[in-house]
Amino acid sequence: MIRIRQIGQTDAAESFGILPVWRRLSLLFIALAAICGGVIVAEEALPLAFSADINRALSLMLTALPVVLWLLVSVLPEFRVERPRRRLIGVAVVSGLTASAIGLPLAESFFVLDQWLPLQSVFQRIIGFTLTAGMTDAGLRFVVLRYLIYPQALRVRGDAVAYTLAAAIGYSFYLSLVLIWRLEPTWNNAAIFVLSSFTIQVASSLFIALGIVESYFSDAFPLVLPANLLAAALVNGVLQALLPGLLSGPLSQAGAADRPLFGLMFLLAAALASVGASYFLYSNSERLEREAYMRREGAHGI
Amino acid sequence: MAFETGRSPAIQITPRQRWSIAFSHLLIVVVLLLGVNQRDSLLNQTSVYTNISAGVSASYPARWLLDESADNVFRIRDMSHLGFKTTIEVRSLPVGVDGAERNLLDHLSLQRSQVLIDYSVLGYDNFRMPDDSHAISMAYTFVSRDASPFLEGVSSIVNGLDILTIRRGQALVASLRAESSIYRRELATFRRFIENLEF
Repeated sequence: MIRIRQIGQTDAAESFGILPVWRRLSLLFIALAAICGGVIVAEEALPLAFSADINRALSLMLTALPVVLWLLVSVLPEFRVERPRRRLIGVAVVSGLTASAIGLPLAESFFVLDQWLPLQSVFQRIIGFTLTAGMTDAGLRFVVLRYLIYPQALRVRGDAVAYTLAAAIGYSFYLSLVLIWRLEPTWNNAAIFVLSSFTIQVASSLFIALGIVESYFSDAFPLVLPANLLAAALVNGVLQALLPGLLSGPLSQAGAADRPLFGLMFLLAAALASVGASYFLYSNSERLEREAYMRREGAHGI
Repeated sequence: MAFETGRSPAIQITPRQRWSIAFSHLLIVVVLLLGVNQRDSLLNQTSVYTNISAGVSASYPARWLLDESADNVFRIRDMSHLGFKTTIEVRSLPVGVDGAERNLLDHLSLQRSQVLIDYSVLGYDNFRMPDDSHAISMAYTFVSRDASPFLEGVSSIVNGLDILTIRRGQALVASLRAESSIYRRELATFRRFIENLEF
């Protein structure tokens, strides 16, 4: 393995020519959560009523929101730096096409999840979603990343996070688009669909990124990458299993009402937990690598 | 100034990385196979129903809803399906000394034509039960409309199949009713139900 000296990733990476990724990921999450949360709160607080056409147009605009924000926050700044990540859009597009060609047909027509999973207990739903939709989503994104960026486009650890984010954006965009196109929900429900699809795919993608980082940059034990892939599928499965139950209110004589604010809180907590946990593991891995390097080279950071 | 450990983009992947990628592909395949196994086991999971007074025992899909109303021995419905709920119904009818199977089916048709919209018989056929005994089947179709006009639902075309067999002076009619779009799929469930029906 060749180790090359570069300047620090955290503060000095921008000057070195590679865009830092975590700050942009957080910004993306905050902006999306703020807009979708605003829509949900506005619908709860104000008696807004739109015609079917306007409602549909607003819902479809919300579907495109994560992609637009990602282009603004992550992709456009790449054109201004010395060493841009050139394959971001390609990864997102291929990931979306994979969701369209394999992911969704596999979940709907082959696994027929709606026929046997929704009526099971929570534990069985988590296991079921992990073994089927979770692994399908995570596995497909991993395969896309393996053949598009691994190892050619990996220069620093942040590259793995940036490309897995791109894969999650493309994948979640297609899933949200299909759902909203078919169900034609009200725009506040569309906001929840978009935010939940984005959170689920990004949260699980971050674990794929950790696996790639450990495997490629630390040359970790061969089971570390599969273990992270399994963790990604599990995160996907847990979120998919728990979210519908938290969005639906309890049954009563008056019927069952939605609880969008409850769902929003859950999504924000899930996003915070997954980004926080993966950032902690990422930083820890980077610190260990740096210390190991210092011990080997006897250098003090330079 | 801090530093960063990185790798040259031109470098080849190490044997460890090659193994980790191979293990990852293997994991995806294994986990998806486990998913298929779980799908099959939950989709085909059955519960046993026994009615001593009617002398009927059957295995039915565990996720379906069992209903023992006065008209039937029992009825099971797939409540998870949107629109018309796929139904398997078992009823027992008394038969006279010279009672013919075809007369009983005609009697059922007459009753149904008064309560079901656009009821029409598609045909009759012979049917061999799992124990090699003889039975007769009748295929039919009708239109199902939501009971509540406030739901503003679209009517569904329903396909039905009756299987009638006579034993010990009693006729047993097992009926499947399913929306025509999923009828073929549900027919497989019905065949499994008939295979495990003891009368």
